[in-house]
Amino acid sequence: MTDGRRRAWLLIASFGASAALLKPVQDRVDARFRQPSTVLDVLYFGSPRVARALALGYNSLLADVYWMRSIQYYGRRDEAARRPVRYGNLVALLEITTELDPDLLDAYRFGGVFLAEPEPAGAGRPDQAIELLDRGIVRHPLEWRLYFDKGFTYFWFVKDYAKAAEAWLAASRLPTAPNWMEALAAMSLSRGGAVETARALWERQDQESNRQDVKKNARNHLISLRVDEDRWTLEFFVERYRKKFGAWPARLADLVRVGLLKYVPHDPSDTPYLYDPATGEVRLSPATGVLYLKIPYDYRAAFMEKLARAFGPN
Amino acid sequence: MRVLAIARNTFRENIRDKVLYNLVLFALLMIVSSLALGQLTLGHTDKVIVDLGLSSISMIGTLIAIFIGISLVSKELERRTVYALLAKPVHRWEFILGKFLGLAFTLTVNVVIMTAGLILTLACHGVGAGSCLRLLPAVYLILLSLGLTTALALVFSTFSTPALSALFTFFLWVIGHFNGDLLELGRLVESAVFLRLCRVLYYVLPNFSNFSVIDSRNVIQSAAYYRPIDPWGVAWATAYGLVYGSLLLGIAIAVFSRRDFK
Repeated sequence: MTDGRRRAWLLIASFGASAALLKPVQDRVDARFRQPSTVLDVLYFGSPRVARALALGYNSLLADVYWMRSIQYYGRRDEAARRPVRYGNLVALLEITTELDPDLLDAYRFGGVFLAEPEPAGAGRPDQAIELLDRGIVRHPLEWRLYFDKGFTYFWFVKDYAKAAEAWLAASRLPTAPNWMEALAAMSLSRGGAVETARALWERQDQESNRQDVKKNARNHLISLRVDEDRWTLEFFVERYRKKFGAWPARLADLVRVGLLKYVPHDPSDTPYLYDPATGEVRLSPATGVLYLKIPYDYRAAFMEKLARAFGPN
Repeated sequence: MRVLAIARNTFRENIRDKVLYNLVLFALLMIVSSLALGQLTLGHTDKVIVDLGLSSISMIGTLIAIFIGISLVSKELERRTVYALLAKPVHRWEFILGKFLGLAFTLTVNVVIMTAGLILTLACHGVGAGSCLRLLPAVYLILLSLGLTTALALVFSTFSTPALSALFTFFLWVIGHFNGDLLELGRLVESAVFLRLCRVLYYVLPNFSNFSVIDSRNVIQSAAYYRPIDPWGVAWATAYGLVYGSLLLGIAIAVFSRRDFK
């Protein structure tokens, strides 16, 4: 073998060895020095105005980058758990996004939801969500959806029905607003109308939205409302059975046998509800296809009273 | 005619220097963004594609304008081809103008191909022809801005080294986006002299925000929402580009004409 050829083989061998060693060495460094205890939670720009000044005319692109960062920041639940403050920087990210692109309506609308959702799903800061939506309303005073979302935040997360109605009434006065907005405001103001308004809200979102994820979320909420009401109805009749026969029924079918019910309802995915004959409790089966979302209203007592009125005394 | 011959040669030289390879990068960017953006963002995928496309056209164009612009004259001096050229009946102003037009044409070809790529990507996402047409004023303004950057690089190229020319051009390009803040700064400091100095600088330094902001709206942002851009704003930006560009070319010609090649 000539010297030149030997050198070439040596070069190839050393190149191959380096390439083969690259991954194990990097993995070793990662394992030894980069413990994933906390996640780096860096904003890069503290002030939205500084970000705008430094964008050098590429505001729109930078806004997209910050919007995507906001979505990822919110969406990565596993990472959020390892941050010093779960969603501490979310509001700043959304402020930078909307300062860079004041017309990005989704940043106000979905950003508001990200901020308002209670922990652990969101930042649990409906006050910041309302501030963000208010900034959007100042910039887009004719955009009824922002008023709708503000009302929604007051209604759903703050439970201030008067403020919600105020926002929806303001929306109903806008020329582009749909005509059901006024009815929504009236419903919110009506006494005990919280659940009915919630149902109307989700039905509207299901019908009006052109986004499949929004529709799906609305349907899941409607289904969850139905599941709660099914369970409570069954528990109401289980209790009646106990009063009549002195013991819990052995199974739900007993309610039909004694004439209290015409049939035993299944959940919306057509899976039978689970019944505990020791406590009389009815719940969803683990085999269910329903994605149950907890409804933040405790209207069980009011619902039971309604059933008692409808079916008379024992 | 001699100007056009120099311009044609500059264009050919740029092609030989593989300047158009950036188009591959742009195509990859468009393909990857098309595939990945749907996963990363909530709605507005076409808006992000427009933002990314137009910003890339502008950034890639600016890099070409700076790095090719600074070598337009210095490379000829380094290779000593300028001596052979100027020995022929070619005026120095023709040389400078030809060089400028050659690079401007290279940039135009680049921008046209990249815009076509962007429109194709948008068409794949179901964006109609009417909306795509709304991007054209923004593309035109980007092209104007690139022309001015080229002229700026050319000025420095006539008397400085390529490294320093790149640095000067880049700094002026950055400062050119902060011109409005310069006036604000002058108003903040309570000094008549400082205010006057800021005013002078405001007019003397190139104002690149004339091409990126029209009617208080960012041009790329307007295009991304398919909003029309005020034609008068475009016309005044064109006027500014022509006036400032002529001034820069005048300076470049004056400096190059006085340069001693012995």
